[in-house]
Amino acid sequence: MHLHDLTIKKFHEGLLKKEFSALEVVEGFFKHVEEHDKKIGAFLSLAKDEAALQAEKADLVIAKGEPVDLLAGAPLAIKDNILIEGQPATAASKILEDYNAAYDATVIAKLKKSGAVFLGKTNMDEFAMGSSTENSAFKVTKNPHDHTRVPGGSSGGSAAAVAAHMAVGALGSDTGGSIRQPAGFCGVVGLKPTYGAVSRHGLIAMASSLDQIGPLTKTVEDAAILFKSISGKDQFDSTTMEAKYGDELLNPKLQDIKKLKVGVPKEYFVDGLSPEVKKATDKAMADLKSLGLEFKEISLPHTQYALSCYYIIMPAEVSSNLARFDGIRYGRIQEKESSLAELYKKNKSRGFGAETKRRIILGTFVLSSGYYDAYYSQAQKARRLIKEDFDKAFKEVDVIFTPVAPTPAFKIGEKADDPMAMYLSDIFTIPVNLAGLPAVSIPTRGIDGLPVGFQLVGKPWREADILGLGQYYDKIHNAVD
Amino acid sequence: MSEINKKSLEHLAELARLELGKKEEDKFLKDLEKILSHFKELQSLNTENVQPLAGGTWSNNVLREDGATKQSLGPDKVAEAFPDKEKHWLRVPPVFEE
Repeated sequence: MHLHDLTIKKFHEGLLKKEFSALEVVEGFFKHVEEHDKKIGAFLSLAKDEAALQAEKADLVIAKGEPVDLLAGAPLAIKDNILIEGQPATAASKILEDYNAAYDATVIAKLKKSGAVFLGKTNMDEFAMGSSTENSAFKVTKNPHDHTRVPGGSSGGSAAAVAAHMAVGALGSDTGGSIRQPAGFCGVVGLKPTYGAVSRHGLIAMASSLDQIGPLTKTVEDAAILFKSISGKDQFDSTTMEAKYGDELLNPKLQDIKKLKVGVPKEYFVDGLSPEVKKATDKAMADLKSLGLEFKEISLPHTQYALSCYYIIMPAEVSSNLARFDGIRYGRIQEKESSLAELYKKNKSRGFGAETKRRIILGTFVLSSGYYDAYYSQAQKARRLIKEDFDKAFKEVDVIFTPVAPTPAFKIGEKADDPMAMYLSDIFTIPVNLAGLPAVSIPTRGIDGLPVGFQLVGKPWREADILGLGQYYDKIHNAVD
Repeated sequence: MSEINKKSLEHLAELARLELGKKEEDKFLKDLEKILSHFKELQSLNTENVQPLAGGTWSNNVLREDGATKQSLGPDKVAEAFPDKEKHWLRVPPVFEE
């Protein structure tokens, strides 16, 4: 079997049928990474020895004929803001260049239990701040479909790794679209789970009320497999809750899926949507309708305030979360003789990139006395109105259909100097984080040119609806393509 | 909206313990002005009688026994990640100035 054809599911089946060993596949992926990642730049570090050990362990269990998890031996790529014990975790920041994680993130501990293999850590925008992966302190990642274009961001390395067949699946993190937008740009599936469905313990925090870890995969079914494995209540993240995800997550029934009502918010289909995105979303909608679902127009009237609301709340949380990177406990890039205040300043100023500094300053501003009410407090009120829009809409429909981004992948450098233009590329994904909802980005199948994703937003804790519908969408195309 | 000028930017940078170069300062002033002017629209939104929403969480008052958690890392493990250490202690630069 060729690496290009491998999904998590197919890898698992091949492993059980002894078509290959996990070690062979892992070695194959490393060879492929060596040959191709010079051009793409998806990985920041590789863990060859640990990966080989993990793969051998999975092979041993299979050789003994013992039952194994769906993820046993599966070679995954992990975003560099998620901690794996003993491995680098730079969050693509110079300030953490020499930092090695002391413990496993909860999602990593869970995946290790399943027997998954970690190939390495992937590139991203520094501390997950950006929409193109150009804000990495270390390298620019290229879109595997067109090397002159960005892979999206901030989980651009994870999306590119999966799209370029350098891993069967990956983990990313999503604060305002950082899983779904790169998934859309690279033509892979990306899930942002319900806030609290997946533990954030061991994720380097950016904006704690918005961050969620989620999977990037080739198929919707694979996303469901990874999601099921990493979700659940965790004593180390008190915002997590135990949701009951039963058989419907992996084996959705067509009769249940057909009953779903799909809402199409008129505020998301306005001027500014590129012709490619319009054409692709029309096609995806037509395909979904062919399953026999009912579609109806809905309104989310406060959509226009979401971007401003997000760019106040997120930097406020950033300015607080990133205070810990003071050059004392984590990375230190400073001669020893200066005073403490100097050490803080020198470390932060040399260690953080421009976008990170910009957001820390903006966050400090919106929280400062005199401006708190006009900005931060007003944004929190807008956040409630945005969430209530969704609550109302979900009384009428079960799933909401939108584009993922206004355009396909843009050129490297095109928006790098204009933060406002960059921020606008997340306009359709941001409201979902503000409301804490689950949403999946699915590549529109059967179109020419650059990949274009569409987004399905679900009710809280109803990943089964959006992933179920997505799995039937994928099925149509496996039959058609 | 010029709520951020050169002087207030310098003050904000000081609060955030950041040092900005001249070029960086000029760029940030331009960027922040653009970003803040985008926020104007939000200030026109009527939010009378709307309660602020702090987060997406559905849980309230998550309590646990007042004691050590079962799986805490030992000091040696934690020290592995320190940039500078002596045994399992974090070595820091001098704190008191002359």
